[in-house]
Amino acid sequence: MHIAGKISLLLLVQNAPPPPPNRDSIPGTLVRFETVPVPAGPVTVPTSRGPRSVAVGPFAIGRTEVTWDDYDVWAFRLDLTPQERSSGVDATARPSRPYGAPDRGFGHHGYPALAMTYFAAQAYCAWLSTKTGKRYRLPTDAEWTRAVLLGLGGDSALTPERRDALGWHAGNAAAKAHAVAAKAADALGLHDMLGNVAEWVTGMDSGRGGVVRGGSWVDRPEHVGPNARARQTPAWNETDPQFPKSRWWLADAPFVGFRIVREP
Amino acid sequence: MSRSRKPAKDLSRREFVHVTAVASAALALPGAPALLGRADTLRIGLIGCGGRGTGAAKDCLTSSEREDTTGGLKAKIRVDDAHAFAGFDAYQKVIASKVDVVLLATPPAFRPRHLAAAIEAGKHVFMEKPVAVDPVGVRSVMASSDRAAQRGLAIVAGTQRRHDAGYQAAMQRIHNGAIGDIVAAQVYWNQGGLWMKPRQPDWSDVEWQIRNWLYFTWLSGDHIVEQHIHNIDVANWALGAHPVKAIGVGGRQWRTDPAYGHIYDHFAIDFEYPNGVHALSMCRQIDGTASRVAERLVGTRGTSDAHSVITGAAPWSWDAQTPRTNPYVQEHADLIASIRAGKPLNEGRQVAETTLSAIMGREAAYTGKEITWDELLNAEQDLVPADVKFGPMPVAPVAMPGQTVLARSWRSA
Repeated sequence: MHIAGKISLLLLVQNAPPPPPNRDSIPGTLVRFETVPVPAGPVTVPTSRGPRSVAVGPFAIGRTEVTWDDYDVWAFRLDLTPQERSSGVDATARPSRPYGAPDRGFGHHGYPALAMTYFAAQAYCAWLSTKTGKRYRLPTDAEWTRAVLLGLGGDSALTPERRDALGWHAGNAAAKAHAVAAKAADALGLHDMLGNVAEWVTGMDSGRGGVVRGGSWVDRPEHVGPNARARQTPAWNETDPQFPKSRWWLADAPFVGFRIVREP
Repeated sequence: MSRSRKPAKDLSRREFVHVTAVASAALALPGAPALLGRADTLRIGLIGCGGRGTGAAKDCLTSSEREDTTGGLKAKIRVDDAHAFAGFDAYQKVIASKVDVVLLATPPAFRPRHLAAAIEAGKHVFMEKPVAVDPVGVRSVMASSDRAAQRGLAIVAGTQRRHDAGYQAAMQRIHNGAIGDIVAAQVYWNQGGLWMKPRQPDWSDVEWQIRNWLYFTWLSGDHIVEQHIHNIDVANWALGAHPVKAIGVGGRQWRTDPAYGHIYDHFAIDFEYPNGVHALSMCRQIDGTASRVAERLVGTRGTSDAHSVITGAAPWSWDAQTPRTNPYVQEHADLIASIRAGKPLNEGRQVAETTLSAIMGREAAYTGKEITWDELLNAEQDLVPADVKFGPMPVAPVAMPGQTVLARSWRSA
């Protein structure tokens, strides 16, 4: 094979299309969703004793953030028959009734579910696992990091143009969350890892609750990126006027959502 | 993700109240000037210790926390067993407990009589919305509010948009002409259904209804009054007036199980204000439908969402980076500050008028008739039994347009 052929083969390998996503559905509904395989490998995570390399096994991650189309089925018991709904018998924990408009008027069909607590995001995954017979859960912080870095390719630096192409942030979102996958896919085929809604992941130090990653539509551009992390503060649920406050919904965090991971 | 709000001190509900019906909490606020000849301490009584009442008490205490307070919130709450009461007459015991301010947070049916008793006893009041469920109750609240004004007592209501910095900023501009003359408004509270507590065998009719108070007009006023009142209040605020008449439609289409009492699950009302200004009001509690909780004001020179954006000749938007106090706390801060300044706020008539405006919408749909303000204000409609006690109580039939009449009473139910 002459040199040009070798180069074109190399390019072909480098530009190989990402592996096909897994397609799944919520039984009893028309809701479909996809997860994208992520190969095993090392990832560097911050720890209290400085950066540390950890090995991440293979997993698949949601192609998009979980949308209201998915979340409504669980939150509003749309997978149950009217008889099952009125009987009050239900095998899984479900959220309390949201007060007001849960989507904040941003949009519903195709928009990311938002303002749920870490507890609720985990409970959704548990329900989805029961419902589908597969193993779904939140990404770990390390898994999310590996996915976002693979998605960005070898260069994780973000020029303003690249950030704009990939994510919704305070500089381009017009003060709202947007429909998922309106921005370009990354090299893995994932949408909205950066911005739109910040995404719950299992914290690095389990026991302290979740962390949200990636930044969101309320964050200034420089705070949206592969290293962005935030923990819940009291301000995220301050104006829930009830006491005790909801354990399912965050009255003041319409910038928080999540995506799922499927175990192999 | 950096919302600059001052976090509240943590506090478990158990530490605050250990009786679920009615309790009084006493609060010491150090370093304050003398009040009405009393020492520099304001004592707070809570009437109605559900989720909202407990939240209001916590917000009230948080609102007035001083920097020199030691021990935090927990140290300021002293409720001993002698000051925790249960039962339909518990409000009298709270009011008699040497408190200065009472927080009224029971289901709305009881608000007029609780307010009257509090004002008569010389107490300042925070009261949750709505403040009545029928015209008899509204007239009582108006009389109590006038009495409070005579006696120098404060009344602040839980229509918290009036204490929200964003709404205040937008409304100030609108009242200064930023959108010209307001010619129309649209107000919405459309959402899914809310909680319901399945009836237990040992519950009497009245206990079951009070535990599910949302679903009985005599207790909540129906959801147009109980929930949509916030948006109707914004229309009244923007227009500086109450509606003069209304027609409307509504019904009970989805939430038909008797477990949900007899209220409607949707309303659409055309309110007519002075000078021929119309406001469309829409509210719905049906799962799986489009949610919208919002207001829109249409003027001759622009439009506004009433709290964050003005478009048109004088565009403006709320700077999202500006710290915004929690309006549920601010309403208490404003109440306490007005008491300390000797210039008591009195929102009683304002919230009574908004409550009656919402009742106007309900009655337009329930009766199918055009309802005028004067007719409604003077109507003999009295839905709350004079002496509520646990025991039998039939459920009034679902209102039927063309048949249900404005003048109706618990006596004839």
